[in-house]
Order: sequence, then structure tokens, then C-alpha cells
Amino acid sequence: MFYRRMDLHKLYKTALLAATGQASDNWLFLLNYSLRLLRVLVLLALWRIILAGRGPVGGMSLDQVLTYTLVAAAFADQLPPRTALQEALWDGSIANRFLRPVNLLAQFAAESVGLWAFNFCFFSLPLLAGAYWLGVNPWPASPAAGLAFLFSLTLSIGVGLALEVWFAALMIRMDGALHSVLKLREAMVPLLSGAFLPLALMPWGLGEIFTWLPFAAAASAPLRLYTGSGEVGPLLLLQAVWCLLLWGVARLLWSRERENLVIHGG
Amino acid sequence: MRRILRLWRVHAYLDFMFMTRDMRTFWISYGAEAVLSLAAVSGTFLLAERFAGIGTWSREEVIFLLSYGLAVSGVLDAFFGYNVLRISRRLGRGQLDHTLLQPQPLWAALLTEGFMPFSSSALLVPAAGLMGWAGGRLNVQPTPEWLALLGLQLLTSCALVLAFSFAWGSLAFWGPRAAEEISSSAVGLMEGLKPFPLDGLGPGLMGVMVSVMPVGLVVWFPSRVLLGRLHGPLDIWATPLAALVAVGVAVILFKKGLQNYGRTGATRYLPFGHRR
Repeated sequence: MFYRRMDLHKLYKTALLAATGQASDNWLFLLNYSLRLLRVLVLLALWRIILAGRGPVGGMSLDQVLTYTLVAAAFADQLPPRTALQEALWDGSIANRFLRPVNLLAQFAAESVGLWAFNFCFFSLPLLAGAYWLGVNPWPASPAAGLAFLFSLTLSIGVGLALEVWFAALMIRMDGALHSVLKLREAMVPLLSGAFLPLALMPWGLGEIFTWLPFAAAASAPLRLYTGSGEVGPLLLLQAVWCLLLWGVARLLWSRERENLVIHGG
Repeated sequence: MRRILRLWRVHAYLDFMFMTRDMRTFWISYGAEAVLSLAAVSGTFLLAERFAGIGTWSREEVIFLLSYGLAVSGVLDAFFGYNVLRISRRLGRGQLDHTLLQPQPLWAALLTEGFMPFSSSALLVPAAGLMGWAGGRLNVQPTPEWLALLGLQLLTSCALVLAFSFAWGSLAFWGPRAAEEISSSAVGLMEGLKPFPLDGLGPGLMGVMVSVMPVGLVVWFPSRVLLGRLHGPLDIWATPLAALVAVGVAVILFKKGLQNYGRTGATRYLPFGHRR
């Protein structure tokens, strides 16, 4: 118990360092916030243009799509979640991480939580607070939907972190093609997860296929629950199954691939 | 000019050797870039497919716009790879010295060092294919005049992105650590917002998108010009004029930064070689 408490303290300090480092070390987060805000403004305007005068499309009304877009932007750090694990493999700084007296994967997760907390306070909350000025309802479809969203968000973070480990293992396996794996991940995951385009609005029934993939469990599921456009039971069950499956394999993958890790420097 | 062409040839050869050093790496890198290029625009494409267009833009027009955006990225990657486009990385990491040591002007080095035509063809080939397909469906006639217009718009769109990146990136002369990734953020901003037709945005948002954050002039406006969706004949010159102003601003800022660099030098490395 004592050691567990010690570990939690170290992880808390790691998260705190990441959160405070965001403001003290690099003021460029303001530029990133501007980009995120501009992007969400453009997307909201586009949805209004596209869906104006139409009834519900794919089971979603314009108001639901706007809320989906706003909440996706507010929780962009968590839906799907990202850590610095892959960048650390890319620039070689993971070598130093192995020397720290904290579990490696927990370090990255703690850092991410620190950054999320900072971004949530200084970007997400103001964005949600200003939603009415943007003409968007920021509230969940019902109190039950809000509660389901919180459960689903926790599961989606679990699924997303497992995917992080999967991609990291793949990067080690591919060795010379680190950059390609990293870029592929950045391009494919936002699309497959429904973080940019709600899966229900995809053509050719693609959304129905993507719904069953783990990427959707990492982003689309909580957003659907928030907007009341998905059934609670099946979505949470699917997320839980993916979380268990992915973590089970991720632990095996990581313990094997980290032995193959070769670092040549930054 | 002959020297520039000679240097491009050398860098093209190096890029070819790098790409073909083994087939596994070649297929992974090339395949990943091709998939990546299509994935980057697929969100907007799927949207256009689902709703038979976006706003007043038909599906084919949206595909033309996306192909033009890919072409801009492809040309920039082809000529300004190896962190020339993301200049703040070179400045922030103290790597400008590597360029200053060379027996050639700085502008010539920056114009040629990042030439990587083979690596970037994974972007340019899909761009050309999509543009040809969409252009054919839209009855765009590839006359010499239209091709010249395409060349002008493409050149100036790239110049605008490059100038935007260099203007922001110049901050790395003063804050090498804090601003090391600022060019990436600036380019990321352009990349993230460029694949959308912006007709119908409110005047405030539109004003931002064609002035301080000129992403609208990089893809959307040139695509309008190339598709003949003009408000007036002066539309043709909007992106070239914006590029001219942006390049002027970037040159001034970069020169100011160089003067500062002349006094301070690279402050990023400790005496034993590690980066601060």
C-alpha cells in the first residue's frame, strides 16, 4: 500500500510538471488554441451550410451534429487520447524514460493527464462556456446521457491508451519506418474514430462498419451518447470488450517489442 | 539558374538513392505517404459524397479543391523538405550554422537543400490523378492559358504557405527553444483548414481566413479561380498579391532575425554537445 501511494505521488508530480510546463516552457499553446478554435468555428459553419433545411440525417438533427462537433473539439485531447509515447520513440528520448523510477506507460499516461487538465481549463471550459454565443447547445441530451458519457469517456481513454501501445509496438517492429507509422496513425485514426465526421453521416454505410472497430470505441461512442444518438447498453458493452481485448494483447506486444527497441539517438 | 538546376539534380539523386535503399522501406514509406495523402482529404470527400457536395460546391468541385490542396502540399514537400518548410526547427536547433558554412548564398541553399521529388511524388501523383478526373467531369479545358493560370496559382499558393511559415518561424531566432515547433504549428494550421470550401462563412470568419490567417487564399480561392467561379477579373490576382505581401513580410522578419543571430549565434547547445 505504501509503495502504491508513493507511485501515485510520483505520477501526480509527473502530471503536475506536464501541466505547468505547458505554460512556463512554451507559450505556443496559444497558437494551438487559436487553430483549434478557428477549426471548430469553420466546422460549425460548414455543418450549418450543409444541413440547413434538411431534417435529421442518419438519425442526427442539425442541433445534435453541432453539439457533437463542439464536444468533439472540447474533448479533442481525450477523443481519441494521445500520449508522447510515439514521439519519444521517434526522437529517442524514450531511453531516458526507462531510467526513471516509475512505470514507463504510466509515465506517459500521467503526462497526458497533466496536459489534458491544463487544456481542459484553458481551452475546453471556455469553449463550452461560450457555446451559446456560437449558437450551440453544449449540454448533454439528458442527465442520463451525461452520466453515460462520463462512463464512456473513461472507457474510451482506456481503449485509446491501449491503441497507443499497439502503435508504439508497431513502430518498434517496423524499425526504419517510424515516421510512416506515426503519420499513418495521425491520418487514419481521426477519420476511423468519428472524431471529425460523425460515423452516422458517412456515405455507403461506412459508418456502420467503422462503428465496430476499436477506433470508434475511442471517440465516436461517448460523443454519440452525449448527443443521445446512440444506445447506451450496446455502446458501453462494445467499448468494455475492446478495452479488455486491446489491453490484454497490448501488454503482451509491449513486453515483447520493447526488447527489440534500438535507439540511435535523437 | 544553372547552379540551382545542378544542385536540384544532386538532391534529386540523393533523394532517389534514399528512397530506393531497400524495397521494404520504399514500399512502406511510399505506400504510407500515398495513403496518408488520401486520408488527409478523405473526411471532406466523404462529406461531399454523402451530401452530393458542400454548400454551393458540387461533389466534383470539392474533389477538384481537394486535389489542388494535395498539389500544394506535394509541391511544398518536393521543394522544401528536410525542415526547410518547417524552418523554425532548423533555427531553433542551431542548424542554420550548417547552411551558413556552405560556400553559397543562404537563399540558394534554402531553395535547393529540401528538394526531394521522389519522396514527395506519393502526394503529387494522387493530386494529379484526382485533378484530372475532377477536371474532366467539370469540363475544364486544359488549354495553355488555363495551365498557365494553374501554374501561377499553384506557385503563389506555395509561396504564401512558405512565407507564412518563415514569418512565424523567424521567432525562433529570438526564442530557439520556445519557438522550435512554431513553423510546424503554422503549417499545421494551413493544412488543417485548407480542405474546405469556405463560401457561406460569415463575414468575420471569412475576413480572418483571407487576411491574418490566409488559409482561404491557399486552396479555396485559387480553386474558385481555376473553376471559373469568379466575382470579377481581379480575383485571379488575389492569391499572387497576397503571396507578394506575405513574402515581403517574411523576408523582413527573417532578415531581422538573422541580424539578431549574428549577435547571439546558436545558444541551444551546451559545451559538451547536448541540446538545452
